[in-house]
Amino acid sequence: MFAANGISKSFVGTHALKNVDIEIRPNEVVGLIGENGAGKSTLMRILAGTHRPDSGTLTLDGQPLRLRNARDAAGHGIGMVFQEQSLLLNMTVAENIYLGQEHQFTRFGILNWRAMNDASRRQLAKIGVDIDVTARASGLTFAARQMVELAKALTLEESVDRPLVILLDEPTSVLSASDIDVLFARVKSLKSRASFVFVSHRLEEVLRISDRVYTMKDGAVVAEHRSQDVTAPALHEIMVGRGLHTEHYKESKQSVPRSEVIVEASKLGVAGAFHDVSFKIHAGEIIGIAGVVGSGREEITRTIGGFLPQTEGALRIKDASVRFTSPEQAVRKSIGYIPRERRVEGLVMFLSVAENITLADLSCVMRGGAINYKEERKLAVDWIKKLRIKTPGPDAACRKLSGGNQQKVVLARWMTAGSQILILDHPTRGLDVGAKEEVYDLVRDLSAQGIAILLISDTLDETIGLSHRVLVMRDGEVTAEFDASRGNKPDQVELLREMV
Amino acid sequence: MKSILNMEPKTAMRSFWSRAGKARRWRAFAPLGVLIVLCILIAIANPNFIEPRNLIRVANSAAVPLTLAMGMTFIILLGSIDLSVEGAMSVAAMVLVLLATNDSNANNYGWLAVVAAIAASTVMGLASGFLQTTLRIPSFMATLGVWFIGLGFSVYMLGGSAVRLMDENIRALALSRFLGFPLAVWIALAAFAVAIVIQYHTRIGRHIMAIGGGEDVAELSGINLRRVRIIAFGLAGFFFGVAGVLAAAQLGQSNAVIADGRLFAAVTAVVVGGTALTGGEGGVLNTLVGVLIVTVLANGMILLGISPYIQQTVQGLMIIAAVALSLDRFNLKIVK
Amino acid sequence: MSDRASISHFGRMNRRTLMMGASAGLAVAAMPKRLWAQGAPTLVTSIRSLSNPYHAVWKTGAEAYAASVGLEHVTLVSEGNSEKGIADIKAMLAKTGGNMVLNSDPNDTPDARPIVEACKSAGASVVTQWNKPADLHPRDFNPNYVSHIEFDGIASGKQIAEVLFKTMGGSGGIIALGGLISTTAAIERKKGLDEALAANPNIKLLDFQVANWKSTEAFDLTSNLLTRFGDDIKGVWAANDDMGTGALEALRAEGLAGKVPIVGIDGIKTAVDAVRTGEFACTITSDPFWQGGMGLSIGYNAHMKKFDPATQPPEHREFYGKVVSITKDNVEEYYKNNIDSKPTMDWNDLWGRVTGAIRA
Repeated sequence: MFAANGISKSFVGTHALKNVDIEIRPNEVVGLIGENGAGKSTLMRILAGTHRPDSGTLTLDGQPLRLRNARDAAGHGIGMVFQEQSLLLNMTVAENIYLGQEHQFTRFGILNWRAMNDASRRQLAKIGVDIDVTARASGLTFAARQMVELAKALTLEESVDRPLVILLDEPTSVLSASDIDVLFARVKSLKSRASFVFVSHRLEEVLRISDRVYTMKDGAVVAEHRSQDVTAPALHEIMVGRGLHTEHYKESKQSVPRSEVIVEASKLGVAGAFHDVSFKIHAGEIIGIAGVVGSGREEITRTIGGFLPQTEGALRIKDASVRFTSPEQAVRKSIGYIPRERRVEGLVMFLSVAENITLADLSCVMRGGAINYKEERKLAVDWIKKLRIKTPGPDAACRKLSGGNQQKVVLARWMTAGSQILILDHPTRGLDVGAKEEVYDLVRDLSAQGIAILLISDTLDETIGLSHRVLVMRDGEVTAEFDASRGNKPDQVELLREMV
Repeated sequence: MKSILNMEPKTAMRSFWSRAGKARRWRAFAPLGVLIVLCILIAIANPNFIEPRNLIRVANSAAVPLTLAMGMTFIILLGSIDLSVEGAMSVAAMVLVLLATNDSNANNYGWLAVVAAIAASTVMGLASGFLQTTLRIPSFMATLGVWFIGLGFSVYMLGGSAVRLMDENIRALALSRFLGFPLAVWIALAAFAVAIVIQYHTRIGRHIMAIGGGEDVAELSGINLRRVRIIAFGLAGFFFGVAGVLAAAQLGQSNAVIADGRLFAAVTAVVVGGTALTGGEGGVLNTLVGVLIVTVLANGMILLGISPYIQQTVQGLMIIAAVALSLDRFNLKIVK
Repeated sequence: MSDRASISHFGRMNRRTLMMGASAGLAVAAMPKRLWAQGAPTLVTSIRSLSNPYHAVWKTGAEAYAASVGLEHVTLVSEGNSEKGIADIKAMLAKTGGNMVLNSDPNDTPDARPIVEACKSAGASVVTQWNKPADLHPRDFNPNYVSHIEFDGIASGKQIAEVLFKTMGGSGGIIALGGLISTTAAIERKKGLDEALAANPNIKLLDFQVANWKSTEAFDLTSNLLTRFGDDIKGVWAANDDMGTGALEALRAEGLAGKVPIVGIDGIKTAVDAVRTGEFACTITSDPFWQGGMGLSIGYNAHMKKFDPATQPPEHREFYGKVVSITKDNVEEYYKNNIDSKPTMDWNDLWGRVTGAIRA
């Protein structure tokens, strides 16, 4: 019903899409997978009308379709749910749902609020969620925001007289497992009325939800399968061109920590978040903290990162007792914090790769009190090579990079700043399998170099695989501690028992 | 894992909202609190303050700043800035006196002069918007240019001197009263009502908030950024024009410096009221409170007999205090 | 005193020059040479602008004087641009071979020195008004630098205060509106007010506020002061007419116009009109008509060796001129002579308005 034929698109210096054909049939969920930079996002943007292809055509019910902008696409029943942060946080849920469509509730130029709020409630009811439509989006959780976005896309049902095509761009990257279940249930129940395109890097999820799967690699569609005919490892192999590693945790790559204690927390606590937390991190050691949302593990990373001063207990960094009241103090103690929301906290998106790398410590490229741009570029080029950052060059703005490459830039920055302690807050969130592996290798390299690392992560696999020791937290307390050194990896089920 | 959606969704949402919301709501009322405390303190120090005659004077002094600040609010909500206030206002005042009965030429167009004056500054606003969107000049520079063009034009037309406004009907805006308040106050209140309707009950108001909250998201939602910008600046020009007419009626004359210092006063009132310079936060209700804070403060300092040499210092402290109270600083990691 | 009486006009003119810029630059070069035949000197007036009423009247006075002695007269306009002002004067000196009399209101204080030095080396006679550096003295440039004329802010401030007090009947409370705190004119005029207050113990200064020379600020301030002092306000002293008219409108809004007398300085038309209707008690003017004509007359008489500047007493070389006060007693006459028609003046009474040497 909705199809793209022979789509090509190139940006300055990169060939994003090469002759791509895809088709979306009625009442179908189509999965779209591929590594970072494989062209998934570009394809989605073309389908949603926000990018125009260099060549190729879109057709809707056999008729050629030219989309000039998102509004055009919406007019044809094509809606998109974006990966991150596409709600306006300063506006209410209802205002967000009907943004750009207020004319439906306008009479003589005056907007009927009540009608719009009621309509928003109906939209949310369609997907079975009950969110206060007069609440501001800034007060919602990521999961709730994702639902609002879905509701927003579904408003097209009323204004467009044909089945909808809803594009879901990485909708699960910020959701927890149970939220994903809820989302999938909604999508399945809506299948009778709309078609979906589902983009994700989590292969299992894609197979679970979709009827057909397109696999992209290097800007081209390389495979098409019916979901029941294919397995995740097979798809993975097609996607990255290599198989899943047989050695599950890759323990052989893990190095042995040194004896020097770098971070020591004793009876550390923050009122209302966590208390009585004690642990040590040695040079070259990776400590993982497992726990559900609200267990207090996020707050621990924020305390050590200098965002949230402790209210009890002591924190020692390299034998000096500290209490950080600002991230700057933590940076001075050579702590690097790698946040999960790269777009918001990790990178200055409009600055170049080189500028972002030297952001935390410019001294290494200062010559006689001035920034030496040649040095800065050289340094950036080194990192780009070393970390295999895919970028048009050191001068490219970071917002043009894919998620995995952005994460590498963040790591390069802290390495440049000479950080001896790294806090990794969901370091692979939003990354695809290949990019994840690269980040893992990078983290192991850093640990081998003697850097102390505190890790919290989305998956237990990641936590167990990378860490030397794992702390489990529940309700602000450490409930268990597991050795996870080479050959002693704990069982996930054991961990889970302590978590909930 | 525990999840927000697994919990009874309603309570999850509500509790989250109320936690973040309580602080936010409290902050939203901070400027109002400042205003009330200010009024109480002044009234205790000098009971004359709450005398009806004085309250009328406060309202009268607030009329022009309020009208101006209405226009400025929309621009600041958009995340832009309009520096052309003084230019637009002086053009409106100039057009008014030169077309109405005056002591410089023989024109006598009466209310048509008022219409022409407001039209002139509206056109200037539209021009600012057009310059930004078409030539892609930042609002700061585009409106700076329009400011000087407007000011230069009115200096030229007025020949550098003051021209008296002698149309009795227009003068009546300042001199006649309805229910005890000069007509200018009622006009300012009408402007305020119009602004309220625009912000809370029209598409353009909604779209201004959306652009202020995030331009790219607004664009993805199918909002025509260009059109909204041009209209917003035109609206601002309209309010500046009304303010210019009121100022000329109050002073009974127009000179090129009639608007001197108004830009700063308008921005101050908007910001003190709690509208963020980054856009998307606040609104015309906040601005009403901001204008009253600034006006009451000026009135109060005179009533309390504070030396003119330290009045400016007190005003500066007040601005900082009001902004500090109303900003949601925990959400503002970067203070620009 | 280096600030000029109508300091509130400065801003307007300076802004105006943003637009007018260099357009008049070629004016001098375009003038035909035969005008400057040897013998009779040429009279030259150098002022800032023609679009403000003050200098427009100045030029009328200069032309009236030139007609009375039958000499060529040229007006140079600097448009607020110091370099242009000086360059035009130098060009005129070259054209006339130094046989000229210059009456200059220098655009800015430092401009006086290059103007005087150029006149000295060309042999022209020069009179400056309002602006000159404190260490630049006519006596150091004999005989070319004839005189420098200013008007005493203290005396002006005091004079209007006395008229106000008299109008009020010698007792009661007043409010005072001052100019921009840091300007010399504002400081001097307030000093004059203070002196008058000291001499009139029955007058009470209720409050002194700063309205920065602007009518809009005076309007708001006066409204607020009315709340604080109500009917205790029996008079308003304003350091210039613009602020005075702002105060007048505030009084008018309360139905008090004409009941509470106002005084101001500058003699702008609105204020003169208000004196006629009885809403202003008085305004005073430095009389630009006199300034324009008499500056040339003093320079011309010295140039023609009718007197030797070097032998003149100090109060003829650097002096305060007498201001003209416009009250209800003389406003009709003033209006008839100065606004409805051109005034007549005895241009040979060179020192009639000298009120004393300028304070060091």
